[in-house]
Amino acid sequence: MEPITQAVTPAQSTTRRRLLAAALTVPLLLGAAACGGDDEGGSGGTELSIYWWGAEKRAELTDQALKLYSDKHPGVTFKKTWQGNQGYFDKLATLTAGGNAPDIFQIDDNYISEYAGRGVTLDLTPYAESGKLDVTKFPESLLKYGEVEGKLAGVALGENTQGLVYDKTLLTKNNLPEPKTGMSWEEFVDWAAEVTKKSKLPGTQDASAVYQALWVFLRQSGKELYNGKQLGFDEADITKWFALWKGARDKGATPTPDVIHEGNASDVSKQLVATGKAGTSWVWANQMPELKKSTENELGLIAYPGDPSAQWARASMYMSAFRGSKHKDVAVDVINFLANDPEAGKILGTDRGLPPNLDVRKQVAATVEDPNMKQTIAVMDELGKKYGPTAPTVPPQGHSKVRSELIRVAEEVIYGRQTPEQGAAAFVTAAKAAIGAS
Amino acid sequence: MTASTLTPAPVAPAAPQPGRRARRRRENLAGYVFLSPWLLGLLGITAVPMLISLYLSFTDYSPLIPLTEANWIGLDNYRRMFTADQSYWHAVQVTVTFAVVAVPLKLACALAVALLLNRTMRGISVFRGLFYLPSLLGGSVALAIVWVSMFNRDGAFNSFLALFGIEGLPWVNDPDWALSTLILLAVWQFGAPMVIFLAGLKQVPSELYEAASVDGASPWRKFVHITLPMLSPVIFFNLVLETINGFQGFTAAFVLSNGTGGPVDSTLMYTLNLWIAGFVDLNMGYASAMAWVFLIVIGAITVLLFNTGRFWVHYSDNEER
Repeated sequence: MEPITQAVTPAQSTTRRRLLAAALTVPLLLGAAACGGDDEGGSGGTELSIYWWGAEKRAELTDQALKLYSDKHPGVTFKKTWQGNQGYFDKLATLTAGGNAPDIFQIDDNYISEYAGRGVTLDLTPYAESGKLDVTKFPESLLKYGEVEGKLAGVALGENTQGLVYDKTLLTKNNLPEPKTGMSWEEFVDWAAEVTKKSKLPGTQDASAVYQALWVFLRQSGKELYNGKQLGFDEADITKWFALWKGARDKGATPTPDVIHEGNASDVSKQLVATGKAGTSWVWANQMPELKKSTENELGLIAYPGDPSAQWARASMYMSAFRGSKHKDVAVDVINFLANDPEAGKILGTDRGLPPNLDVRKQVAATVEDPNMKQTIAVMDELGKKYGPTAPTVPPQGHSKVRSELIRVAEEVIYGRQTPEQGAAAFVTAAKAAIGAS
Repeated sequence: MTASTLTPAPVAPAAPQPGRRARRRRENLAGYVFLSPWLLGLLGITAVPMLISLYLSFTDYSPLIPLTEANWIGLDNYRRMFTADQSYWHAVQVTVTFAVVAVPLKLACALAVALLLNRTMRGISVFRGLFYLPSLLGGSVALAIVWVSMFNRDGAFNSFLALFGIEGLPWVNDPDWALSTLILLAVWQFGAPMVIFLAGLKQVPSELYEAASVDGASPWRKFVHITLPMLSPVIFFNLVLETINGFQGFTAAFVLSNGTGGPVDSTLMYTLNLWIAGFVDLNMGYASAMAWVFLIVIGAITVLLFNTGRFWVHYSDNEER
């Protein structure tokens, strides 16, 4: 071959071409070699990659639970990666784009439709049907909240509900009454204004940018955030919502706009009740113990204002398996273990929310020692009795964009750049675009 | 003599041909080997990804699906960008404001400080080093974090203002001021153009100033009629570089706003908006389209600058010829 080629074309260009070919092949080969590496890991057993967000406490607990699994199933080891909430989904998306999604990953209702709709998550329905994944002890609505377009995309690893956390110490110090579950929004705003007046600390964070507060508010008047792939509200509802909070700001119930903006960060540790910049914050009930870590003050936990039956049992987060995983069965078994094993349940406690398995939940409630977890369980148990008959289904694709648009528009109104009416119109337009609704 | 011993080729043209060819091949090979780190980089991390992104800009690609499953949607992304997406135009406005204010201010500061430092004085190199220091920290995340805490409501800057009885604003958390703090941060890092200006100033022949002094020219006239024209190639160079940099500002805006472009989109720089489209909204096809428009616009601005340069940039060697 070679002599012939040489005879036809000058030697130089052949070399050049060959080099070019080599240059192109080398990275490809390296890439292939790297891919090949994954398979060979199985010589001694199975290594599963698992990825979650959370604080250090969660990492400790999850570590212990996974170790327990490895002890019971010799040969199965874990490559664990965890990080704070911020940046988690950027990284997960990047890993997925490279075809390297973890075998098991934590996800929430913010993105589960996104991932399930694009076929990243393994459909767990067959496993649930065959019993390999035991969901018989799950509350029905919690299980349903993991279904996207008829497929079980994730297994709830915790149940939570909206929780209003207030600074008890501040109230006692200033001889102020504690807020009560069931008080109306107007009563709550008046109460917060009173707190500001007496304690010189703003009574409450402005909730106009908090989507789960808006959601409860909507449900209290028979509306929803979403009806399937459409919005479940109209401009008038949002105008009412923004006007309610404009009234609260005018009465001095809330902090200044820049502090409200600070408190709108997703980070739990930046919530104003934890940083001491307001008397009340709008969070999820299971986040209370985490909030407690940032403050010396005693914290109280109640439902959001208005009728508490509008609240519902929400899956705080799920574990999903990657559809492209090489060890699907083991991955599902691990998820099953984390959700249903009594010992694992005991280790995990209520860090991710109430355990999804009702038997495990009872057992954990009876044995939990952390006083803040105890308080959370007690409050959620009580609220659980009040939930209405219907729970929302999992939010559609685009939900995370709707959330960020709500923050943007609500802040426009908070900073006084738009009236509640203008804000409502802007939000409805933006939210429609975000979920691709007509 | 030595030359002929080195190249015996002319003596016997037929025989040495393969030898010479082999050597040339070896040389070529060596050349490519030395070139390969750059070549691999160019192909692997610049050229190929760029071409892929060009393709993706015509698709609805999301990072959650394999590349091959991306649907071709023609010009839809571009249409959406230009006609339907309000935040896109808002980001363009923020970015242009940033570049138009920050770049001239930064160059003016750099030139002013360079003029001050262009003298012989004991310890002058220490001053030069100190003024360059902020630029060494570059676009670092740490610096942006420090900046945010300095310009918070209870930050160092407001404590300083309080000394004079002035009550400060929550600069970084105020939509009217957040972009200004970013501009200030960019201007403060004037070290790189300053060093280049300083080098340029050293090149201006001192005879010109001496001649002007003999004619009784004021320092201002000397600056306008000697320094500026002589320095114009360097000014031009800095202008082009800083304009490109200015449009690409990302890190500080990202850190200041927690990656959201807030408060109320006041720091939504073009690149930040692009990042949000790609990595938060998972709309990588749309983000690719934004990137390509950005590339073309920056290219056009650079060409424009080069064209206007003809009217105000003086190259002394041209004039002499």
